[in-house]
Amino acid sequence: MQENYLAKWLNNELSEEELATFKKSAEYASYQRILEASNKMEAPEFDVDLAWDTFKGNQMGNEPKVVPLRPFKQFLRVAAVVAVMIAGSYFYLSTLNETFTTDLAERSEVTLPDSSEIILNADSEVSFSEKNWGKNREVRLEGEAFFKVAKGKKFAVLTENGTVTVLGTQFNVENRNGFFEVTCYEGLVSVSYNNSEQKLPAGSSFVAINGEIVGSQGITATQPSWITNESSFKSIPLKYVLAEFERQYNKVVKTENIDVEQLFTGTFSNTDINLALESISTPSQIRYKLGDDNVLFYAENTP
Amino acid sequence: MDNVCEEQVFSSVFKTNSKTVFNFIYYKFGNEEKAHDAVQEAFVKLWENCAKVSPEKAKSYLYTVANNLYLNVIKAEKVRMKYADLHSNSISNESPEFVLEEKQFQQKLDDALNALPENQRTTFLLNRIDGKKYAEIADMEGVSVKAIEKRMHLALKTLREQIDGI
Repeated sequence: MQENYLAKWLNNELSEEELATFKKSAEYASYQRILEASNKMEAPEFDVDLAWDTFKGNQMGNEPKVVPLRPFKQFLRVAAVVAVMIAGSYFYLSTLNETFTTDLAERSEVTLPDSSEIILNADSEVSFSEKNWGKNREVRLEGEAFFKVAKGKKFAVLTENGTVTVLGTQFNVENRNGFFEVTCYEGLVSVSYNNSEQKLPAGSSFVAINGEIVGSQGITATQPSWITNESSFKSIPLKYVLAEFERQYNKVVKTENIDVEQLFTGTFSNTDINLALESISTPSQIRYKLGDDNVLFYAENTP
Repeated sequence: MDNVCEEQVFSSVFKTNSKTVFNFIYYKFGNEEKAHDAVQEAFVKLWENCAKVSPEKAKSYLYTVANNLYLNVIKAEKVRMKYADLHSNSISNESPEFVLEEKQFQQKLDDALNALPENQRTTFLLNRIDGKKYAEIADMEGVSVKAIEKRMHLALKTLREQIDGI
């Protein structure tokens, strides 16, 4: 008899001899009976259609329940982005600097959060962070401004040319293309310029032109002359004087055959243009021609 | 169509295989309720992974899932088989003694089936009741045809020994 002959017998895989031998055996009748009885066996009832309906009800029916969650997730995603943007812009705006600007022929007064005052000369700009003022008294300056600083912590004026720091004083800072001047009227200011630091006592000024320190000069005024509508100069190249004139009167200045590097000492009015023109031209021995929006300065001997 | 995600394909897979999955689990564990659950769970798994299963592979996937569901989890209970009363139409032909004896034999067969190891019982019943070929059962159980033949042989041998009271 071959291996697993009972399984082979069920499958009709026995050879005729094997089958004959098997049929003669004592157990054959029992096996035959088991087979007959097992043919009558039935598995428990199983309703395929009912099972399919159950499956569809559970499974396919589940899908609509899942789908509505997705738009919510989408919403959460958008909400998260919006929240980040709002938070970000809040922090951005809160650190954004307060900025004050004056135009040509304009002047403006700015009161800082600690009641320090800034008077802005024409064509100038200051900016500072109102939010961080308590921690950091820092002002960025372009142009020219007069500072009356309330006593308190360190107060710094940052310019691209140099930094001025004080504790409580009155001083003027002028920072124009290549021209940097600090004048202290009260207290003590410290000027750091090109990595060198200089203490400036009351009644003195610091001038640097094109990166070169021109020197400190004594002054007698208690506030800059422009506060009282005059522009004063002491040994300053004429081109800076003319630039100041342009700013004060909003006129385009043209020159002809004039040495703009010659030094000028004097004062011109910021309110009376004719007086100002005389004040500039007479000491420098030059002539001028006043147009609608421009002024031409030319050498006396030019026809 | 390379997978069973199409509802029509899936439905036909369900209709052809769900009864056998049910029987397969019932023969193993003798618990109808669990067998119904197994059908649902196996087809849920198949539906969830429908994109990964080709129609040809669906069948063995189902049995693998169904089998794994209750592996070592439930203890086999008594398998209660029903017997079609083939004699009901020819009552007069059988003596009451014969009918009684037949009933007793069926009872013995039931007891002997319950005493069988789960894998032998499943093989025997799948073959006898569901008419599954050895190769098909081998596929369902994930074993060789020879192993199924061995199980079948041992099942018959043990059943006879039990019934004959050896």
